[in-house]
Amino acid sequence: MKNLKSESSESILTRITTQWQTKPFFSTGLALLVMIILQTIALGFDFPSVGSWFGTWLQNWINILRNNSGVGIIALGMTLVIISGGIDLSVGSTLVAIGALVMMMIDIGPKGILLNAGITGTPAFIIAIIVAVIGGVLLGQVTGLLITKGKLPPFIVTLGTMKIFRSVTQQFMTGYNPTVPKEFLSIASLQIGGQLLMPILYWLILAIVLHIISMRTTFGRQVIAVGSNERATKLSGVNVNKVKNRIYALMGLLVSLSAVLQVSRIGSMDYANAGSGYEMDAISAVIVGGTRMSGGRGTILGTVLGTLIIAVMNNLLNLVGVPPFLREAFKGVIVIGSVLLQKKESNS
Amino acid sequence: MNVEMRGIYKSFGANEVLKDVRFSIVPGEICALLGENGAGKSTLMNILGGVLPPDQGEIYLDGNLVDFRTPADSLNAGIAFIHQELNLINDLSIYENMFIGRELKQKNGFLDTERMCRETSQLFDRMSLDLDPRTMVRDLDASYKQIVEISRALMMNASILIMDEPTSSLTQTEIARVFDMMRTLKDHGVGIVFISHKLNEVMQICTSFAILRDGVKVAEGLVSNVTTSDLARLMVGHEIRTMALQREKEDSHEVLRVDKLSDDKNFHDISFSVNAGEVLGITGLLGDGRSELFQSIIGAARDYSGQVYFEQKPIKVQNTTQAVDIGLGYVPRNRKENGIIKDMTIIENSSIVSWPRISKFGFINQFLQNQKFTEQVRKLQIRLERGTDLITSLSGGNQQKVVLAKWLNTEPKVLILDNPTQGVDVGAKEEIYDIILNLADEGVGIVVLSSEAQEVIRVCDRALVMYHGAIQGEVVGETMNEHDIMRLATGVSLN
Repeated sequence: MKNLKSESSESILTRITTQWQTKPFFSTGLALLVMIILQTIALGFDFPSVGSWFGTWLQNWINILRNNSGVGIIALGMTLVIISGGIDLSVGSTLVAIGALVMMMIDIGPKGILLNAGITGTPAFIIAIIVAVIGGVLLGQVTGLLITKGKLPPFIVTLGTMKIFRSVTQQFMTGYNPTVPKEFLSIASLQIGGQLLMPILYWLILAIVLHIISMRTTFGRQVIAVGSNERATKLSGVNVNKVKNRIYALMGLLVSLSAVLQVSRIGSMDYANAGSGYEMDAISAVIVGGTRMSGGRGTILGTVLGTLIIAVMNNLLNLVGVPPFLREAFKGVIVIGSVLLQKKESNS
Repeated sequence: MNVEMRGIYKSFGANEVLKDVRFSIVPGEICALLGENGAGKSTLMNILGGVLPPDQGEIYLDGNLVDFRTPADSLNAGIAFIHQELNLINDLSIYENMFIGRELKQKNGFLDTERMCRETSQLFDRMSLDLDPRTMVRDLDASYKQIVEISRALMMNASILIMDEPTSSLTQTEIARVFDMMRTLKDHGVGIVFISHKLNEVMQICTSFAILRDGVKVAEGLVSNVTTSDLARLMVGHEIRTMALQREKEDSHEVLRVDKLSDDKNFHDISFSVNAGEVLGITGLLGDGRSELFQSIIGAARDYSGQVYFEQKPIKVQNTTQAVDIGLGYVPRNRKENGIIKDMTIIENSSIVSWPRISKFGFINQFLQNQKFTEQVRKLQIRLERGTDLITSLSGGNQQKVVLAKWLNTEPKVLILDNPTQGVDVGAKEEIYDIILNLADEGVGIVVLSSEAQEVIRVCDRALVMYHGAIQGEVVGETMNEHDIMRLATGVSLN
């Protein structure tokens, strides 16, 4: 009898482990759930004052989501890059370059480009955003062309552009402090129900759009094909170079949107430090979200979960009072742990 | 050293690869070990080289029974196996390669570079080779790499060499250089087993031969007593043209013509044409350049000189997308590397080529995709559970049918099939042949690239035989038999 029982519980366990090993979504989802439960406990959940507790809980969540929307948006593009078998280390520097471009456009000081052209207010903002997007796509295109036409490894190319974009921006912007008009800040700080929800909303919309692109469009599926087997994809009549160019252009586009968001949240930019570490944060989120580092497998949804896991964990560590220096270590543990799981899966 | 293998049996599962094989070699002999792919040559030599144990049978060296359990045992006994892929480290110099794993050291533990160089030079002098031991292996051409590998075997006192197709990646002058070395070795009393498909080379360098067919030794003797034609016949067996192909052919227009194509590396001066409804075979041995030729034509390999005509119009395809657009399909060889995308589902694998056609504003029309898939599953009798399963859940034959389906979905005017039945079981093979013949009847111009003569005879109307990147001859009707194909493929001309 005892034997039988242990056998059946064993089978449940095996089922969970197979699910865990074969469906990255399952494992990330489960991990997130555990995090949220721990976080709930850490926030001092108790029944009598559930109302006020819920208020704190919700506020805490809104803060988490808002603070991670910038990296979250970049991680969406990074997902496609990594699925295709590539990597983009230049996202943080691109963010700074595009951020500087946006601020120069909308500057209301004496050097403001659009102001001097006689354009102010909403039209100026729209133009600035369009220019930012075009700039982001162009910078992404530079990366793409170096990878496809120059036949260089993405790691090398983006390591180079990472240095170039930031350093050139810093030099170019020395001694120039653009003033961002207050109205521009409402892009991020427009309040809904008394809450700063706009960044979360942008992230959510972009995640849905990227998810649809990845699942339903020719381009999205070709990205997976390229990452899984580039040679076979090429022999199937797919223009692999074109697909790769588009991936990096899309990455640039998303970074430029993240840059606009960043400028509108803070109203200024620290060219030396803004966006630095974003590439590693985005890559971590993608990896934790179950995307295979060598390409061919991964989902946008997974990346959103991955971003959340890292964010919630950070929040949790903060709540329980783990010193800030140590928090990065936990991030590292999460990343290594999730890749260990992926490895198990590919062996089976 | 005399080597004798007696009564060797070996099977893999139910597949009997060697049956009561007796093989021997004496000092100063260069023995050609011949046979078709899968005849058992490699298995026999792997047993002698200690890579595989025999199921039954004995090996005697100078009359003493030996038992090789590992390649090291065999090497210590003086038998060296020179594999087709050389075991040299490109980033080390010659002498370092010669002593790798058993480096000579000074008393203080540092490497004794000088002595290693000296011993290497002495060996090279004995072999009348002019090589500097300090040269990097990377800087050597393919023949010298081969020579270094052979020298290393000699350094370890090997007196029997097994050479597995040593000339397959060499040019004519490089081959001559390796042959010179082999002759020197022969004069020094080394026995050499020479595995090759090239009968002309066998005539040139070997003293004796042994032929395996389906795991049985069918002939042996002195090379001076036979002709290439005898050897080819013995390799294939006596049956000629297993199944005659009788297809009604109407007059049809030319769909693909190729005029004097060369890429300066893999193929040169290739001209042929294919009509609608015709099945043209291109055959030859591995490394004859046929895959490279057709990959160049569809824009997936090196650039070429010469002119390609598609439906009488001159074309130059820049990339595979263009090839699809004009109606030129290519089913590649090595399904795993070139054909399937293992992280995608069966449906997606079957429709990747036609995505641009079935999508609107970049969105794939799922309904159309499923419809076309269902149609192909029925037509090609693909056996599967769910279309949304991964492609890797299917058997080899069914995977190949999915790869075919992705091209049939584009309704090509010319379909090139490179080794279409590679890794496919016998039943599925016949089904794929039927699919090919049906397509031809529908008016598609078909090119089948295959190294299996039986396959070419089975499905093709006529066939071109390639040898070293050039067309060696054409077989059609009476001459379309394994014997003549084998002769052409080994560089002999038919007349």
